[in-house]
Amino acid sequence: MSLLEIKNAKLKLDDKDILKGLSLSVNSGEVHAIMGPNGSGKSTLSYMLAGRDGYDLESGEVFLEGQSLSDMEADERARSGLFLAFQYPVELPGVGGMSFLREAVNTRRKFLGEEELDHLAFVKEARKVASKMFVKDEMLKRAVNVGFSGGEKKRFEILQMAMLKPKVSILDETDSGLDVDALKIVSDGVNAQRNDENAIVVITHYQRLLDYIVPDFVHILSDGNIIKSGGPELALEVEKNGYAGLINAA
Amino acid sequence: MLHNVRDNYIISVKDHVSKFEEKSFRKLASNDFKSWPSPREEAWRLSRLGVLSRKEITPITPNFKKPISFVSKLNGSKIIRFVDGAFREDLSSKLPPGLSLNILGEEDSLRCFHKFKNSNLKDHPSTNASFSCTPSILKLTIEKDIKIKDLFEIIYEGGDDESSVHPALYIELKDNSSITIIERFNHLSSLIMPLQLVELKKNASINSLKIFNDNQQSYNLSANCTFLSEKSNYNSFSLIKGGLFTRSETHAYLKGEDCNLNLNGVYLSSKNQHHDLTTAIYHDVPNCTSKQIVRGVLGGKSTGVFQGKVRVAPDAQKTDGQQMSRAILLSENAIANAKPELEIYADDVICAHGATVGEIEDDQLFYLKSRGIPEKKAKKILITAFLRDIINESVEESIKNFVFEEAELALSDIISTEI
Repeated sequence: MSLLEIKNAKLKLDDKDILKGLSLSVNSGEVHAIMGPNGSGKSTLSYMLAGRDGYDLESGEVFLEGQSLSDMEADERARSGLFLAFQYPVELPGVGGMSFLREAVNTRRKFLGEEELDHLAFVKEARKVASKMFVKDEMLKRAVNVGFSGGEKKRFEILQMAMLKPKVSILDETDSGLDVDALKIVSDGVNAQRNDENAIVVITHYQRLLDYIVPDFVHILSDGNIIKSGGPELALEVEKNGYAGLINAA
Repeated sequence: MLHNVRDNYIISVKDHVSKFEEKSFRKLASNDFKSWPSPREEAWRLSRLGVLSRKEITPITPNFKKPISFVSKLNGSKIIRFVDGAFREDLSSKLPPGLSLNILGEEDSLRCFHKFKNSNLKDHPSTNASFSCTPSILKLTIEKDIKIKDLFEIIYEGGDDESSVHPALYIELKDNSSITIIERFNHLSSLIMPLQLVELKKNASINSLKIFNDNQQSYNLSANCTFLSEKSNYNSFSLIKGGLFTRSETHAYLKGEDCNLNLNGVYLSSKNQHHDLTTAIYHDVPNCTSKQIVRGVLGGKSTGVFQGKVRVAPDAQKTDGQQMSRAILLSENAIANAKPELEIYADDVICAHGATVGEIEDDQLFYLKSRGIPEKKAKKILITAFLRDIINESVEESIKNFVFEEAELALSDIISTEI
């Protein structure tokens, strides 16, 4: 059974067809990259998967570990093991980083039937994971994403991913706004979490990120559908020839 | 003005001062108390007082033996108490050196009265009613170079549902002095009309926190007139949560260069409460800054009003005036009004204002939900943060938690009803 199964997903926004019957199957242990030009439906796909209001499927279905997501709200999907790393992480003025993380982690632990972590145990765990992501203590004391640099925001996203231990992670343009050093730190953080039990879907414009997070499969998204799938070599082809050649060939 | 043929309260104010001489400030004030503000007056259009002219209320005669009912929870603070609008020395703390309290005589009271009458608070109902009926004007003086480290609490209580109360306080901070004052309004009266005159001399600094938490049937019409001299600093935060109708009105006159004013506030409104923060800031000289951040959370059928006027005189170049208000409506029947008014007559100034009224932000809610946090909990987190954020920005470190706890009490009531 696939960890994530998208079957013939169709979605409209403002009466415009955005996803036009997209299907994708992701198994545990796999990393999939979805590449596509602007306006191909990449961000819509990630919001649809995460369950954002207004991004409901018109038809088709999505399954997480065999369970349909169609009647599940965003929070329920997240508790069930779906994680979205935002392209533009949202600032939460007044919400302290540490208490936010603890709330999220304990909500997930409770769902999994695990014991909730008390303050001390949590802080210890968070610091351990944070140091690997080069997230300083001081950042966790600040309000979530407020005044963070682009790199800090993305590192904080991946820190959340590491703490929540999701089954399926969707990384939406995680490379945007990152310089090479920051890209390496974030990618190392993601790679450290790859294992046989989970799966990662990397959504990106550029091949660059895939030098660091090497995918097992690459899919080209164009005009609301996957028009070509292949191995990592497909990303190199995009880099060399651009999307236009691939799209025209399809 | 509304010219009522007969207004019981205005008549009872005149009765109250009948024994005073014609030239007494009380008599002068009562002569000017001719009517309640009409809803046709712009300043009172959003906060109407018509109901007051139909109420059976009389100015209170203070009971100087009345025991206190409100106990402070702040450890080690110095306390000044007003009961029934009258200063109670017997219930107040001993003052540290450099700080004094005096009851003003007729002449000084008259001077104080004229300062109000020369300001744009001259027609405020509390100006006329409270100068008529206050038991006395209390003056708190902080001497030159004195920096008060202790927290000062001024606790106002007393009154009953048939009476109005009229506490009047004049605070003078002499050169280079500073103090932090927490004022708490906890009256039982139907009508509360506190007057306050604040004068900050050169380089003086005050942190002022006001918590309005009167009885749930009360009308509180607080009027504050503040004058800032050169390099002085007035940092004020109002938390409005109680009363049926609470309007905190502050007029600040920036009279000396390089002074700095913050007039921030929060209102937390539920049921049929009406809460109003009205401010007027007069930049009369160059190189001063003023900032206002106002936030409201509303549930039930409550109404919130923020009216903020900033006037920059032709000479007041290099003024920096900022104003921002935001209200979150948790109920379909709640209303929030925001009315920023900028009058700028100088050309080299930075003035900005913004006002939003709405629900919790979608993208913030989605972000929390996408981390597994259920919607109700996510909303609570965001509204609490909305308050914590402004309290962090506005309030001195040592009393942040205290203020937040005071706000959270009212907030949890609204949240438990609406979410």
